[in-house]
Amino acid sequence: MIERAENILQIAALLFCVGISHWQAVVHRSRAWVLAAFFFGSYMMGDIFWMVCLIFYGKTPQISVISDLSWFASYSFLYLLLLQTAPTKAGEKRHWLQWVGPAVSLALAIYFMQWGEILSNLIYAAIIGLVFFASIGRLVERDRYRKQRFLAVMAIVICLMEYGLWFSSCFFEGDSLANPYYWFDLMLTASCLISLWAIKKAVAE
Amino acid sequence: MTYIENIYLCLASPILLAVLCLRKEGRRILAFILAGMTACLLSAYISTYLTGVADIDRSEAAWEIAPAVEEIMKLLPLVLFIIVFEPKKKDAIIGSLYVAVGFTTFENVCYLTSYGSADLLRVLIRGFGTGALHVVCGMIVSVGLYYLWDQAWLRTIGAFTLLCFVITLHAIFNILVNQPGAVFWVGSAIPICCIFTYLALMRKRIDLA
Repeated sequence: MIERAENILQIAALLFCVGISHWQAVVHRSRAWVLAAFFFGSYMMGDIFWMVCLIFYGKTPQISVISDLSWFASYSFLYLLLLQTAPTKAGEKRHWLQWVGPAVSLALAIYFMQWGEILSNLIYAAIIGLVFFASIGRLVERDRYRKQRFLAVMAIVICLMEYGLWFSSCFFEGDSLANPYYWFDLMLTASCLISLWAIKKAVAE
Repeated sequence: MTYIENIYLCLASPILLAVLCLRKEGRRILAFILAGMTACLLSAYISTYLTGVADIDRSEAAWEIAPAVEEIMKLLPLVLFIIVFEPKKKDAIIGSLYVAVGFTTFENVCYLTSYGSADLLRVLIRGFGTGALHVVCGMIVSVGLYYLWDQAWLRTIGAFTLLCFVITLHAIFNILVNQPGAVFWVGSAIPICCIFTYLALMRKRIDLA
């Protein structure tokens, strides 16, 4: 019951984000807002697919590739959004700290392979690694990306919440608020809403 | 039993002849429609094969396998066109809509051959529901690619992400239209609502030029 209510809350919040992003994209003819709409929209589609399966079939899909695909798409759009709002120059030297992100996501992917599929974990590691890489790059170059640093922080927070969800679903069970899974999911929902403000600031540059 | 390859031969042969006779834009449009029909035929074979391999029933395959196979097959002609001919932005983007139209036309003909065309309501739901869904998916890919066209890497990641997006949309639609009662009607109305919402927001038809 809590899971369903929490899912509906997240879908409603993401629908709001899609609406705002779409509206901004239409008004400003902005590619960044189109990417933002696709980012929120893809995440929402994954949630809807998962919930629809639970409602009509009472089980999660036997082949979970569909919902995974929409979440892959969502993080890929987040990466494209980071690149769009703060493009880097070709041949630019990278800060060593940027490599920490992909290293962490790869290590976590290897760890989570105990529970999940190898290929899907590797794809998540690659995409989330890229998001970390781009976000950390924008944070270390603070002077150059002043307005974009909020979006970079929010991108990192969203990825960390995603990992929080994975950890809690591996170690905790039960449909009660004592399960940290729901807290991470609620924080992820809140992060998405705050991201709207961060995107607005980044696009305004 | 419906022999879809026979239907394909019957529908595709005049289009193929016209492709050979026409030039430039006319040829390209018909070639995309033909590619869409071919993609539909091949995806029927591949879906059936994968359903057997994964050992799941047909109704489950409709929302777990068919959406992924159909959307990938629909994107392949476009990918091939972009790689081989390096077309202009507008030509490639409009192409994805024509492929979708070819795909859904062939699928609808096969549906009518299997289930008949006597029930007007069912035929309308088929046309404005499932048929329109393929157009919506083609439209999403077109509009998405339009905004992500500038660089080759952006186009590549963009195509992948858009593909993932439309597969999920297609899967959700297939689940809803396989349910009885009000859920079926809501599911069937989604594609046409998407098109009207898009038109209302943009206040004009797609002109990607």
